[in-house]
Amino acid sequence: MASSISKAPGLKIGNFNLSWKGIQENVLPPVIAIAIFLGLWEALSASGITLLPGPSSLFTDARTFEMVKYPFYDRGGIDKGMFWQTWASLQRVAISYTAAAIVGISLGIAIGTTPLLSKALDPLFLFLRTVPPLAWVPISLAALNKNEPAALFVIFITSVWPILINTAVGVKQIPQDYINVAKVIQVSNKTYFLKILLPSTLPYIFTGLRVAISLAWLAIIAAEIVMSGIVGIGFFIWEAYQNNYISEVILALVWIGAVGLLLDSLMGWVQNKMTKG
Amino acid sequence: MTTTELVKIASAGKAFPLGGGKEYIALKGIDLSIKRGEFVALIGHSGCGKSTLLNMIAGLDLATEGVVELEGLTITKPGPDRIVVFQNYSILPWLTVRDNVALAVDEVLTEKTPQERKELVEHYINVVGLTKEIGKYPGEISGGMRQRVAIARALAVQPKLLLLDEPFGVLDALTRGNLQEQLVKICEDNQISALMVTHEVDEAVLMSDRIVMLTNGPASKVGRILEVDIPRPRKRLEAVKHPSYYQLRSEVIYFLNQQKQVKRMRAKKVQVVTGHGLEKTNLELGFVPLTACAPMIIAKEKGFFAKHGLDQTSLVRESSWRGVVDGLTGGYIDAAAMPSGMPLWISLGGAGAQSIPIISSLTLSRNGNAITLNKKFQDQGVKTLEDFRDMIRQSPEKPHRMGVVHPSSMHNLLLRYWLASAGIDPDLELTLKQIPPAQMVVDLKGGTIDGFCVGDPWNLRAEIEGIGFTIARDIDIWKGHPGKVLGCRADWAAAYPNTFIALTKAMLESCHYCSDPANAQEIRTILAQKDYLGTSMEFIHLGGPNDVVPGVESIAHHVFSGEGVNRPSRTEHLWHMVEMARWGDVPFPRNWVEVLEKTCAVGVFSTAARELGMTEISYARNSIQLVDGSTFSAEDPIRYLNDLKIKRDITMAEIPLT
Repeated sequence: MASSISKAPGLKIGNFNLSWKGIQENVLPPVIAIAIFLGLWEALSASGITLLPGPSSLFTDARTFEMVKYPFYDRGGIDKGMFWQTWASLQRVAISYTAAAIVGISLGIAIGTTPLLSKALDPLFLFLRTVPPLAWVPISLAALNKNEPAALFVIFITSVWPILINTAVGVKQIPQDYINVAKVIQVSNKTYFLKILLPSTLPYIFTGLRVAISLAWLAIIAAEIVMSGIVGIGFFIWEAYQNNYISEVILALVWIGAVGLLLDSLMGWVQNKMTKG
Repeated sequence: MTTTELVKIASAGKAFPLGGGKEYIALKGIDLSIKRGEFVALIGHSGCGKSTLLNMIAGLDLATEGVVELEGLTITKPGPDRIVVFQNYSILPWLTVRDNVALAVDEVLTEKTPQERKELVEHYINVVGLTKEIGKYPGEISGGMRQRVAIARALAVQPKLLLLDEPFGVLDALTRGNLQEQLVKICEDNQISALMVTHEVDEAVLMSDRIVMLTNGPASKVGRILEVDIPRPRKRLEAVKHPSYYQLRSEVIYFLNQQKQVKRMRAKKVQVVTGHGLEKTNLELGFVPLTACAPMIIAKEKGFFAKHGLDQTSLVRESSWRGVVDGLTGGYIDAAAMPSGMPLWISLGGAGAQSIPIISSLTLSRNGNAITLNKKFQDQGVKTLEDFRDMIRQSPEKPHRMGVVHPSSMHNLLLRYWLASAGIDPDLELTLKQIPPAQMVVDLKGGTIDGFCVGDPWNLRAEIEGIGFTIARDIDIWKGHPGKVLGCRADWAAAYPNTFIALTKAMLESCHYCSDPANAQEIRTILAQKDYLGTSMEFIHLGGPNDVVPGVESIAHHVFSGEGVNRPSRTEHLWHMVEMARWGDVPFPRNWVEVLEKTCAVGVFSTAARELGMTEISYARNSIQLVDGSTFSAEDPIRYLNDLKIKRDITMAEIPLT
């Protein structure tokens, strides 16, 4: 019953057919969807139903348009261009994410290889990982007293769980065959770790890392929004909102979305590279 | 002693806890030893614990009782002296072929220099023929190649014992065949000791020196061990032509089928159904598809069983006489049509260590056998027994083999008697192989046997198909010899006396029906059916004045009824007893008079005949006229035995009759 759109007879002309078909199937649908979404949004703001400015305000609003045009300006303090705001946030993510990866992978391996540890810690981890990033903010502020380390901690605590849990699962899922081989040959612990455990667990670790990068990016915004007086895209949104520069919030949203997408694709690429062989 | 024995398993068992204090006993009382340089195959149905046994030797799974030793040391953990090749390759996909093998070599052979290790790795990769693929990853090579990598890895660490767990299980047939042959060669060249778990019969026969067969679980044990006497080096195409190949193969298949049947019988609750004043009316009767078994088939088809109250009787077709023996001794079948020597053979302990008394109330058929030789001998001018003897003696370099169906069958005894009458020792100058009847013509055609003695339809078939010729008819050797008899366990007969008489009556009446030439056409039609002989009617002949097959010299002349035909004869059974003792199959019983008395249920026959009004047929002869002109009488069997020239060592024993 379902008729395929590419079956229109007039479109099959030579090589052009292929590329046109490719565009038609892969590019056109998302472009149309985005256009409809933006159009609806614009119409809604123009009609006055909502006070939210439309997407065109990025260009019509003079102040926002300045920020679109000059992402690299720096007037000192926290008055910086979009790039620097994002960069500051990214730096925080980099630090905390690295820490989360180190802690998550090593603890995950420890738990995966030690049934007792797994039994002891599983309930605690299951409990902690359901706590949302925002809930960690007051706790980390109370515990660490300063904005910067508190923000780092929130990112860390949010992104460590998927890495840890995936690694532990990966270790537990090492095929019995490989373990039997190791037992029969009686490989040393070092060889077992490097030649069998690690390569076998790698796909799981990277799945965890990829999930974690998105979560970390998610958490930075949450953490920064609440913490005043720091350079960062999260706090930038909060500041803009406080000053009722809603179109600047929209601009920040675009940046956050773009960076998030970029980070995920980057991790996906690394994952592919690392686990293919 | 300990120098040749590599692995010793004694009364070993394995139980798995099930929770709630219960346990599943997978293996029990396993006794097995593996010699150095020996290739042992372990075969059995799924779930019989073959892999568990292998893992016990590997040390991956420890025995819960008994002894499992390697070179006298108890196996407590896995070690590189016993490398396992697993079914699903288990090579590491992130390492190249070289690195996979090197991983094992570097870990195990630490005393060697890096250069030596490198050479070893390359050598064994070359042995399995993967030198070209040495730098490739497992994902880039085929399944068969991957398994070869696993084999190379196992061989490269030079283990004392190679353990193969269905190594070819997941490979396609062609790859499997090639790999089997390669592994056979590698093992032969490198004198490797190996234990291979498999469920493939051909694989086991082709590759191993011994085939160990496990019974079904729970509590599996070693059911049988077969020695594979096919010479090495073996090549598939040559091995399958070896006369032992099909015999071994059918032995293993028989065992596996038997295990399946045992399982089914265990599951089926056998209830005794009484009725019509009989203790049991639901009988299971065994037969082998042969023309001589006609009375049993006709009794079923023409309703003679039902007529005598045995209305729930069913027939169990066995492909070989071993099935009948196992069915009777195991109590799965109530009675059977069997070779005339079988009641005594089982009673005297031929079927196993313990003797189970079998009795016979009826002789079902006489004659119907012939000795067939390969057509090529006829072309060479072999026409008589003397010609055959001279031919054998002129070509001692060639192994001469002949097929018989069972040690207790008349064919075996007649063939031996016939050969011995011309001075041929049937064991020293020839090899007599036990082959199922249906296999005979195939083996004759394949040239693995020179000839056979068997019942129809097989002689006729060989002759009609131009593969063989009849050199001697049974009526030339012993006219009117008994062929098949009705036999059952003595304790069965004691438990169901009225049923036994009813069964004898039904069969006697059927014998009478079979002997009427007017019924011959109908009987042939019935016998030809798929459930019975399953062969073309052209090969089924009952014999008689009007039954002539053009172009065929002789057809068997079956006698099912007549004067003195059906009555069990003590003299005839004594002849069997003497002949089987002569060839060393069973001991000669000191209490032979008593044994004969017990075996021949003459009383049951007389009652049956009287009740059917057939009293005129119960006449019995007292002496037997044989081919060499001698007469056998029941006077002094021990002197007769002592006077024989060609015979084996004869043992005598008191046979307890319980």
